[in-house]
Amino acid sequence: MRGSESSPGARFIDPAVLARIGNLELVARHVVDGFINGMHRSPYFGASVDFAEHRGYVAGDDIRRVDWRLYARTDRFYIKEYEADTNANFSVILDVSKSMGFGSRGVTKLDYAKMLAACLTYLVHRQRDRVGLIAFDSDIVAHVPPSAKHMDVVLHTLDRLAPSGQGSLRGPLHKMAEHFGRRGLLVLISDLYEEPDAVLEAVSPLRFRGSDIVVFHLLDPAEIDFAFDAPSSFEDLETGEQMPVVPDALADQYRGLVRAHVDGLTERFSGSRIDYTLVNTSSPLDHALFSYLSSRERLARVR
Amino acid sequence: MSFLTPFFLLGLAGLAVPVIIHLIQRERKNVVQFPSLMFLQRIPYQSVRRRRVRNWPLLLLRLAALALVVAAFARPFLRRHAGGVAASGGAREVVVLVDRSYSMAYGDRWARATAAARRAIASVGQADRASLVFFDSGAGVALRSAADRGRLEAALLAEKPGYAATRYGPALKLAGSIVSESSLPRREVILVSDFQRSGWQGAEGVRLPDGVALTAVPVGEAETSNVSVTPVSLQRSTFSERDRVTVTGGAVNHGARPISNLEVVLELDGRPVQTEHLNLEPYGAGSVSFTPFSPAASGTRGTVRVAPDALPLDNAFHFVVGPKQPVRVLIVERPASTRDASLYLSRALSLGDDPAFQVSLKSIEGVSQDDLQRAAVVILNDAPVPPLAAERLGAFVARGGGLLVAAGERAAWPAPGAAAAVADVLPAMPGAAVDRSQGAAARLGALEYGNPIFEPFKAARSGDFSSARFYSYRTVVPGTGAQIVARFDDGAPALIERRVGNGRVLMWTSSLDLQWTDLPLKSVYLPFIHRMATTLAAYRDKPAWLTVGEVLEPARPAAMPGATRPAAVRMVLTPAGLRVTLDGEGPDVLELAEQGFYEVRTPGPNAPPVVTVASNLDLSESDLSPMDPRDVVAGATGRAGGAVVAGANITTTDQDQERNQRLWWYLLFAGLIILALETLIGNRLSLAGPVHAKRPSVPTPRATAMPTGPGVKLDPGSHRHD
Repeated sequence: MRGSESSPGARFIDPAVLARIGNLELVARHVVDGFINGMHRSPYFGASVDFAEHRGYVAGDDIRRVDWRLYARTDRFYIKEYEADTNANFSVILDVSKSMGFGSRGVTKLDYAKMLAACLTYLVHRQRDRVGLIAFDSDIVAHVPPSAKHMDVVLHTLDRLAPSGQGSLRGPLHKMAEHFGRRGLLVLISDLYEEPDAVLEAVSPLRFRGSDIVVFHLLDPAEIDFAFDAPSSFEDLETGEQMPVVPDALADQYRGLVRAHVDGLTERFSGSRIDYTLVNTSSPLDHALFSYLSSRERLARVR
Repeated sequence: MSFLTPFFLLGLAGLAVPVIIHLIQRERKNVVQFPSLMFLQRIPYQSVRRRRVRNWPLLLLRLAALALVVAAFARPFLRRHAGGVAASGGAREVVVLVDRSYSMAYGDRWARATAAARRAIASVGQADRASLVFFDSGAGVALRSAADRGRLEAALLAEKPGYAATRYGPALKLAGSIVSESSLPRREVILVSDFQRSGWQGAEGVRLPDGVALTAVPVGEAETSNVSVTPVSLQRSTFSERDRVTVTGGAVNHGARPISNLEVVLELDGRPVQTEHLNLEPYGAGSVSFTPFSPAASGTRGTVRVAPDALPLDNAFHFVVGPKQPVRVLIVERPASTRDASLYLSRALSLGDDPAFQVSLKSIEGVSQDDLQRAAVVILNDAPVPPLAAERLGAFVARGGGLLVAAGERAAWPAPGAAAAVADVLPAMPGAAVDRSQGAAARLGALEYGNPIFEPFKAARSGDFSSARFYSYRTVVPGTGAQIVARFDDGAPALIERRVGNGRVLMWTSSLDLQWTDLPLKSVYLPFIHRMATTLAAYRDKPAWLTVGEVLEPARPAAMPGATRPAAVRMVLTPAGLRVTLDGEGPDVLELAEQGFYEVRTPGPNAPPVVTVASNLDLSESDLSPMDPRDVVAGATGRAGGAVVAGANITTTDQDQERNQRLWWYLLFAGLIILALETLIGNRLSLAGPVHAKRPSVPTPRATAMPTGPGVKLDPGSHRHD
């Protein structure tokens, strides 16, 4: 796979091909390597040594942080302040409910989500940040605390995860919000089969601690396009409920509802300053990452 | 059309199989696992149209093929409808019998009957022949074996219900004679009627020829209501030497609902004179008596009438009543006879009022011309007749008088030729007396019961003449034209009859008193004398009314006693105002065809007064209760279970039966053709690809192409707004 580094065209490799490669770590490394090579510049996450401002010394401040050079010029004590910590907590919050096991083109949403999570984890690990993982369905299924040494643990955990149980956002996310003690970067990967208001209500507590939240909304192309034709009984993967459906008759209405759902999520997340990205699992993973990180960079510059 | 094996039609339930295949089975086989039904469940049910037929032509082909095959197995066959179009099998001879009895005037029966008859006429093909017969108590051919439907319909439209009652026998006999004379291969009789129970008295000896199909087309209603007037009862009485008549009329309710306060009106000579009221129970009758009245000498026309209903014809009853007309009898005795010589005779004639006899006694010497003019009957009671009297009596008999000669011991008649004017009047000349006083007395041995005199005694226990004993009688030798009506036990004539001119002469060879016989002491004496007197007087009880269908003999009133010889030409004025002239050359009778009063006039001077005759309907027709038309069909064809209306009990040949049942073959063939067509179309559709399997396929690797969703165009990307 290394051979693909020399070929620019090999950057966008179809996720279906990646899925056949069992070594997830390698897959993640490959994708992120290609990504970083193209960027020439490191980290987007957590600029830990950037100078922010000076402030006056007050009793109790660490004297090691006094700017002695400025004291020499002004004869006053100033404390140097930086924009962020040098290494932040990065956690992937991964939805492993049964609906994530759906895939119409060989790659399930969970597979895609694992690769996405692995890529991001690898990327952040390369920045010396602490990486962790939380998997949930209607409860927390797996938990890897953020740590600089947990990269392999995260990848192994990802490898073991399988779709199970009915999905629910509110319970697990509220529980996590109590757990996270310090602000960090949280990436939520889910298919978000709940009402936009309910989703926002479930996610919001994570933001109260000041964490930066990124939401990846994973949908299979069949869920978006609804390209079915034969009248069939549709079975809900999570509840097992069935209903007869004539796709021709309701495809347009279905697409309209999905569009309205996505629009609703977009509107609510942007209002809450949460990054929201819809990912179609038919698109190559590196392209999805590229699109997201590029837009994030653009927004960061504006900021 | 019907089916030989209709149970096979249960197979039509199999039509559900293709529908299930189309609608249900495919859906159940395809269970698509989907992440969430959250959005699908929000779509209203109606717009989902869960079961939708995907290929209508294919489904219709399958259904049609299955239905045709099932129908073929049910073995349909055509039952030839009488009013239908002539099928193959040869030309038809159709006889349409249309009931025109007066019950057909009830409601809209006549309109329905004509409509049914028109349908039957419309079915007559070019090669067919049709006859139109109208019937009531009789039957008449309006058009025979005609192929012109226009003429048939014109004849039908020109007819309307009459006044007579229904009888099916004559109509069916006439139809049978028409079809039996036909040479056409198929013969049908269509009977359009209201099928009243009163019109059918058993089979009436009617039997249509074999192979003739009889179709009954009932046009009556299931439930009817009708009120009819009953025949009146006329009770005579005498008040102040004048006849008075009490009319008792009534009404019958033929319906299931009671009728209260029904007006019953008595009209005399066209004017209402009295109104009474009646309450009638369902199917009940009631009567009311009106105040007595004195009839006019020429006869009073009376009508009892009730309010009109759905059948107005039977709501009136007509009658004609006049004063009593006694029969004048002149008893002629011998000169110086004893006072009681004619005691038994005169007493017998003085009794009774139907008719009443006006008896006068005269000695043979005192009989004048006027006496003979007034008398209707002359009885010579053991009297010797002188030539002058014999001559007068001869003239009397010749102009219509009646003469009874009781040839007792002293009876004598001048021999013909003894005087130039003495006519040969007597049936026999009285001869010597036979003495039967010794030994067994003579008895009447043989009576001619066919003679009007003895006709009432014809039935058993209606009079015992053999108990009378005769001790003596005159021997006679019957002359030409004489008829022996009764004989003694030794064969000697006892009563001889002879017609002379318009009159009639009877000779009784014994006495009519106790001198030679004890007959006057027997109970048969009185009716015997009455019968002889009424027969000689040619007396007929003049009925107060006649019934439609009976025959009016206009000569009858002219023959009443005292009348002159009837004129040759008579004119009858019918209730409808038509004039019918009877000139004696054609039939001298007129059949009553209408309800109302007929007037018989004799034109010319010295004409007898106008005779009025009341004509009434046969009230048995007023009972509208229907019968089962199949009874008529079965009775006339001799085959039970005859069909009614929808299909006649048509007898068909084997070829016809096979032809009528051939339909299944065509159905099966059509079903197989459609199945082949369905197979062809199904194969083509399957070769063109499954119409429903448009499943998403696994995408091929794309190295550089920008991914775009095939349906919803959503641009994956980050949305963050600060």
